[in-house]
Parts: sequence; structure tokens; C-alpha cells
Amino acid sequence: MKLAKLFAGRLPNRQNILGVYAVIVFLVYSWTLVTSFYKLPSWMFYLTVGQILSVYAYSFSVDFLESILVLAGVLILDLTLFLALRNMAEFQSRSILMVLGVLISSMLRLILFPDYEQIEMFLSGELTWWAISVPVVLVAAVAVSKIEWARKILEGVAERAAVFLYIYLPLSFVSLLVVLIRNLS
Amino acid sequence: MKKISRRDFLKVAGTSLGCLFASDRLLSLNADDGNRPNIVVIVLDAFSAKHLSLHGYPRLTTPNIDAFAEYSVVFHNHYSAGNFTTTGTASLLTGMLPWKHRAINYDGVVNAKVVKNNPYTLLGSDYHRFAFSQNPWPDRLIGQYYQDVDRFLSPAAYSLLKGYNPTRVFKNDRTIASVAVNSFLMPIQGGNAPVGSSVLGYLNKSQILNFSSEQKSPRYSKGIPEAMNMGYIIPYLNEDIYDGVYLELSQLAFEKKPYFAYFHLYSPHYPYRPRNEYLMMFRRDGYNPAAKPVHPMSNGLSEDYLAGQRNLYDKQIAQVDDEFGKLVSELDRSGILQNCYLILTSDHGELFERGFVGHGFQYMYEPVLQVPLIIHAPGQTRREDIFAPTSNTDILPTILSFAGKEQPSELDGRVLPGFGGQVDEDRPIFSVVAVDNPAFGEIRKAVISMRKRAYKLIAYLGYEQMGQPFELYNLENDPDELDNLAPEDAKILSVMKDELFAYLDAANQSFAGK
Repeated sequence: MKLAKLFAGRLPNRQNILGVYAVIVFLVYSWTLVTSFYKLPSWMFYLTVGQILSVYAYSFSVDFLESILVLAGVLILDLTLFLALRNMAEFQSRSILMVLGVLISSMLRLILFPDYEQIEMFLSGELTWWAISVPVVLVAAVAVSKIEWARKILEGVAERAAVFLYIYLPLSFVSLLVVLIRNLS
Repeated sequence: MKKISRRDFLKVAGTSLGCLFASDRLLSLNADDGNRPNIVVIVLDAFSAKHLSLHGYPRLTTPNIDAFAEYSVVFHNHYSAGNFTTTGTASLLTGMLPWKHRAINYDGVVNAKVVKNNPYTLLGSDYHRFAFSQNPWPDRLIGQYYQDVDRFLSPAAYSLLKGYNPTRVFKNDRTIASVAVNSFLMPIQGGNAPVGSSVLGYLNKSQILNFSSEQKSPRYSKGIPEAMNMGYIIPYLNEDIYDGVYLELSQLAFEKKPYFAYFHLYSPHYPYRPRNEYLMMFRRDGYNPAAKPVHPMSNGLSEDYLAGQRNLYDKQIAQVDDEFGKLVSELDRSGILQNCYLILTSDHGELFERGFVGHGFQYMYEPVLQVPLIIHAPGQTRREDIFAPTSNTDILPTILSFAGKEQPSELDGRVLPGFGGQVDEDRPIFSVVAVDNPAFGEIRKAVISMRKRAYKLIAYLGYEQMGQPFELYNLENDPDELDNLAPEDAKILSVMKDELFAYLDAANQSFAGK
């Protein structure tokens, strides 16, 4: 109970969290949308429009879950690793940079090694990749968020990304409903 | 004291279970359940009839299957209607040709209008219905009528992944969930398209790849076999898979109803990774089939490479044959074999010639189309050989006839000769590859093979890179398809072409203008 109170008191304000979440949503959902265009032509060959929309329903549902998990990760980091920084003003920019760094790093690996033939390369470089990129991203996030103009830019990004919440979140709720109905019927 | 292995335990457990049930089931076969027999279908993926010693292959690849054939009906000219898993399996399950069932694309599904034509729905609740496909494509096809499957295992069941599948929670929407999750959001490998889910997809891919790469066994120096398809990589051991088949059949024996069980096992499909004891087989045995002309659409693989891959494939078959032999003897010992139709077949074959290795693409030669079909009937003690050409669309009608069920009129297949069907010398046997067409429109670009009597016509429709769009072979005189008669035998070519186009036009009619 005491622990929960302690953490609750240290949580950034809701507006800042929403700003970070908006950036996460933008990245996660846009990646899915863009990569779906690789698959769409083949889906159109053998799936009906209804089935294709159902595939998107699964995709947005998974994206919703994914975005919540990433946000949870960010908050946990803030409440643990970054606890010592005690700088709420930098939370949003620091978190956005972290999210951008880690997600783009993951996406890059997915782009670089998509196929079976590259499995060896995917595996052999994995540890080194993350061992370098995660600390670099964390340090860069802390450092850059201390620069006022950079912080302002990132806060601007969060503010503008908020519009995606209005698009993707309702879409996700409809998607979750579709997935639920398809699996209950 | 000798340690009891998992296999020994399963044998003892299965035999005990089998003995317990056997007398009861044998009685019930003749009792008041309408004499409905148990039916077991075992499909070995990419298993070419041309590589079976049973069918005259110079290497002794399948001594156990040869022995099984001695008390079964053996079909010597059995064709798959497709040259890759989706189309071939869809024809086997629907009893329809690809231009009707429309699972013509690599990860395609059966048209909703005809999907009711499948053994699960048509056998109905009189049967306890079981499905297990290691290959995710048939799993997706069967997922279209999941509600008619009483027990439906994951493609990863009995594998080293121990059943793990991210879509397992979506039991009631298996097919679409599989398209979304396994093929798009979280594929382990997937052509050139990146994974659709940047976090969960990445974690899944990393976890499975790391797990797979850690699977090593001194008994598999070529690496652990993997079922890989449609985004999946599932490492497995054949011995575990066949133990699983036996365990499932032993459990099915306890069902109050007769059962229908479909097993689609991945081996001997590529990658060919036989266990060590098979690696020395067929080395320097002098077998060196004649080189065939390089196909205009192949990437011209060298004869040495083809020979190397062919050797590995034969070794893989030898291992599968051993596992199958053990399974059959255990089924025999436990009394299960005496009380079921056991159908052994494949979804398509495999090709090691003309500059190409594998299956699919535009290759419609005998090794990739001719598949084994061996059916053991309950209590059968003598061998019967059927030489008339048959199609894998005949399997569903035959299963329905075993169960005493009505045949839907729209099926292309017929009850097999030897089980009540008549031999029709004039029947054309079709195989179709039409991956470049949408499933909902006319088929305009395709390779179609038509076998009729001794002749086989291969028509390349819409492939301009083929200088000569027709190949015609007399398989009785030229079983290796070396002498293309199309340029010189204009009369036969014209008759066969007309017949082929008449069938295609009829099939296209319901999709005209789409």
C-alpha cells in the first residue's frame, strides 16, 4: 500500500503520459499499417473484403495491447531507473526519445533481417545490437531532454501526435469488439 | 537395470490401452453404429511416389511401406491435383479440383461457398473427428471448419515447441487469426515483408529463433528438422511426432463413436535433415539418373547439387519409412490397425531435375504430381494393385463411402477403384497450379496438367517465357518425360488441348467477368 502510494505520487501527470502514449500509438500503428501494404496485394488474391478487415481488426487489437505494454515499460523505467533524476519536467521528452530509440531500433532489425536466410545474422548480432543501442538511447534520452529547445520540439511532437489517439483508439475498440465477436460466435 | 525410454513407455501404455479397447471396438464395428469404421488418414508432406521402392525406385527407400502394401490396396498412378501443399491438400479434403475449391494461392483458403465439402462436416457428429497438421497451411484449411473438429491440435504439438502457438487463444477463428498473427503480425520468417508487429512480433521472432538455434542433438548432425512455412519455424523430431500419432490414436480408441483422424506430417518435406544413422545410406550406390533438359523457368541448378539434394531427400524418406513401419507395427500389435481404414498418401511430390529442387512454381512433372496412395482396409490380408490413374480428389468420396455417407453432387472426385469405384479409362486427371490468379476470378495464367490414358499434356497458359506452351508425353513409353511429342503429334495434342480448355472454360464460367 505504501509502495503504491509512493509510486502514485511520483507518476507524471496524465497529460504528459498521454503525450508519450500518443507517440507510441503513432509509431506502433503506423508501422503495422505500412507493413500491411506489403501483404495487402496477396490478401486481395485470396481473402474477401470482410476477411481483410478482420485481419486489420486483429492487427489493431494487437497494436493496442502492444502500445499499452510499451507505455507500461516506460512508466516502470521512470519509476525505477530514472527515479533518481526526480525531474518531472523532462519526463515527456525523455520518454519520447526512449520510445523512438527502442522502437526504431527494433523496426530496423526487422527490416534488415526479414527472411529465413538471414536468421544467422539476426541471431549473431542481436546481443551486441541491444547491448549498444539500449544504453545509447537511455543516455541520449536523458542528455537531450536537458536541452530546452530539444525538449520543446519533443513536447510539440507529443502534442501533435495526440490527434492519432482520436483515430487509432476508437478503431482499436471497434477492432477488439470484432475479434471478440469472431471468437465468441 | 535398463532405463525405460519415452518411446518404450508410450508403446507399453498404448498397447495396454489398445488391448483394453480393441475387443470392445471390434464388437462395436459390427454392432448398431451403422457399421461405421474408423478412418485414419496420414499425409506425409512432399512425398513423391517416384522415390518409393514400392513404385520401382532403384533405391530401397521404403521397405516398411513396401511391407505395409502387402496387405493393402496400392494405387500406382495416383495424382495430386496441385503441386504444393495448399492446393494439393485442399483438393484432398474437398474432393474438388483447384479451379473449383479455389485454394489456389500459396496461403489461400477454400472458397466459402464450397467449404462445406470436407470430411469433418460431411462425416458429421456420427464421428469423433480429429485433426493434426504439422504444416500450418493444412491447419489453416481445416481451421475453416474448426467447429466440426472435435480435437484439433496445434501445428507445434509434439514438436520441440511443445504446442506453442501465439494464435492458440483464437480457437473459434483459427484461419483468419492465423493469417493475421502467424503470417503478418508475428511471423518468424516471411519472405521480404517485415514483421507487422514491431514489439510483440520482434519478441516472438527473437524468442523462437533463439530457441530453435539452441536445439542441438548429437543424433542429428545435419541439424534438427524444422517445419517452416507461412511464417512458422517449428523444430521437431520425427520420433516424437510418430509417438504422438500413436498416442493420439490410442486415445481415440476410447471414443464411444467411430473416429476420423487426419494427420498431416511434415517430413520428408525440406529441409531434409535425417538422423545420423541414415546419413550413410545410398552413398556411392551408383544411382545416377539421366540428366533432363533444364526447364526454361528454372534457375538452372547444377546436376551435382540436384544429386546431393536427392540423396538427402531419399535418406529423409528412409527415416520416415522406419518411423511409419514402427507406427504400423504398434497399431497392429494393439489391435487398432485391424479396426480402421488406414490411408497413407501425400499432398504433392518433390522434384530434383531440370535445374530445380522442390515443388510449387510452374513444374508439373511426374515426380511432383505423382504421390503414393496405399489404403489398408480393416482385416485386409492381401495386396491389391490398381494401375488406373486416380486423383487425390477421389479420397473424400472414398472416405464418405467407407462411412456410408451421401456424396455431394459437386465433388470432382469419385470413389476409388478397389473400394466400389469403377475404372474409367477416359477420365482425365487434372493438376492445376494457378498461384498468379485471384481466388475470386477466372483462371487465365496457370499451368495445367492433364493425364489421360497413356498421355499427359502440360499446358502453360499465360507464361510467355515458355517458348513452347504445350508439352505432351506418352508416359507408357517415356515415363521420364524426356520426349516432348507436342511438335510432332498434332492430332493428339489438339484433342487433348480441346478437352483441357473445355474443362477450364466450364470451371471459369462461374467466375466470368470477375
